[in-house]
Amino acid sequence: MFERSWTDGLPVVPPTTERVRKMLEGTTRPADEIVVSVPPNLIECTVEKIAINAVMAGCRPEFLPVVIAALETICTEEFNMHGVLATTMSVGPIFVVNGPITLDIGMNSGINVLGHGNRANSTIGRAVQLVVHNVGGGGPGGVDRSTLGHMGKQGFCFSENEFSSPWPSLAESRGYDSAQNVITAFTGEGPRLVMDQKSRKPDSLIRTLAEHLISTVSSRVVVGMDAMLVLSPEHAARFHEAGWTKERFLEEITEMMMIDTDNIIEGSNGIEEGLPTSMKGIRLPKFRPDGLLLVQAGGTAGLFSAIIGGWLNGPPGSEPTSKEILL
Amino acid sequence: MTNEKVLLDPTSESTPSERSLSERPETMDGLTVGLLDISKGRGDIFLNRLEEKLSDSGIKILRFKKPTFTKPAPIDLRHEIASKCDAVIEALAD
Amino acid sequence: MHDIDDIERRGIPAVMIASTPFEDAAQKQADALGLDVARIFVPHPVQDRTDEEMHEMADLVFEKVLDTLIR
Repeated sequence: MFERSWTDGLPVVPPTTERVRKMLEGTTRPADEIVVSVPPNLIECTVEKIAINAVMAGCRPEFLPVVIAALETICTEEFNMHGVLATTMSVGPIFVVNGPITLDIGMNSGINVLGHGNRANSTIGRAVQLVVHNVGGGGPGGVDRSTLGHMGKQGFCFSENEFSSPWPSLAESRGYDSAQNVITAFTGEGPRLVMDQKSRKPDSLIRTLAEHLISTVSSRVVVGMDAMLVLSPEHAARFHEAGWTKERFLEEITEMMMIDTDNIIEGSNGIEEGLPTSMKGIRLPKFRPDGLLLVQAGGTAGLFSAIIGGWLNGPPGSEPTSKEILL
Repeated sequence: MTNEKVLLDPTSESTPSERSLSERPETMDGLTVGLLDISKGRGDIFLNRLEEKLSDSGIKILRFKKPTFTKPAPIDLRHEIASKCDAVIEALAD
Repeated sequence: MHDIDDIERRGIPAVMIASTPFEDAAQKQADALGLDVARIFVPHPVQDRTDEEMHEMADLVFEKVLDTLIR
């Protein structure tokens, strides 16, 4: 299968007729239903083709609805999967799952949440990437032009620890209710740690987070790229315990990330990269409104959070895209 | 047991029908060439120079720009280009 | 590539210009589209070039570009 270039480089589960039949039991949708047109070649893709790739990725049948919904998010004009593949930037699709299904299928939102070790987390994102590779025709060295890539392109999917937090989940912030099963796709690079083990007050911790977020992608990039902040339970508790709402957190951090363009125009501090000189003398936010996606996840011990830098946002790039998961 | 040996194909199984390029004219004399800027940095400078050189050779130039290099040009733009031009040059992907 | 493919489908000769690292990608995409899209490659990189260097680059490929559009 590797020689036929059906794989992502790792061994895959052989997609036998029997295994695919069992996989299809994971959804109520008919096997021959065309669900999406997969970029870059915009190939119409049936539930069965998705099931074949889900078998190969190592999914259990009950993960299939999540894989299908994930494909429905990325195979859209607004997510622009073709652009995500073709860019030389080191980004790929990253999926956050919200809702009761995360418990039903045993997803991990705790220890090592952005890492390995959980079958659902590890195989759902992988199945999606295999569909893009096998059905859509988008693989590394072909349409995928990523200069560096990142390990998450093997498949990057996790769930939010929404059940023990007073704050609304990512899906709720995006207009869904907590009973709905929702998947959100975000185009991002690999996660990066933010360490702050000393801050006991929210006013201090939020400054650390802002300081790190400002350097996302490049400290000279403003407004045009989003980021996802994965706030760990211990960091989140600093804000919860002080009575901060999610809205207050986002408002305050936005204010802390206003940038004087004089410091980031081309040539400033001896660096040729930067905004054009015509943009001198103004203040711009690091992220556009709603450009910082907040997710709560991670192990209960450890005063660390993570930043996942994004790619071009808006119509030229990729918009974070959510869909309800249909069982 | 026999089923265990049969693998289903995970690919699109589609091979596109091979097409040939549209017919080329003998010469560009008197024709209109569309220059399509994909909106990537520096491409406009490159196309300005091509425009200069094409105009010097007596070719009529029309300039077009697609909104973003990350997506195919909108269908209306492709239609407009095709209806106004005899040939098209698209640049500059890097 | 999709743009060129579409314009060619409308019967208009078309050529794309890209930098050399995209040769493989263009070949794969051409295979997928089933059309051997006319394409010319210029040296990489592009983003850090001066205007003058961009002009030289255009001069370098000008004749080749024209050749792809005529018989």
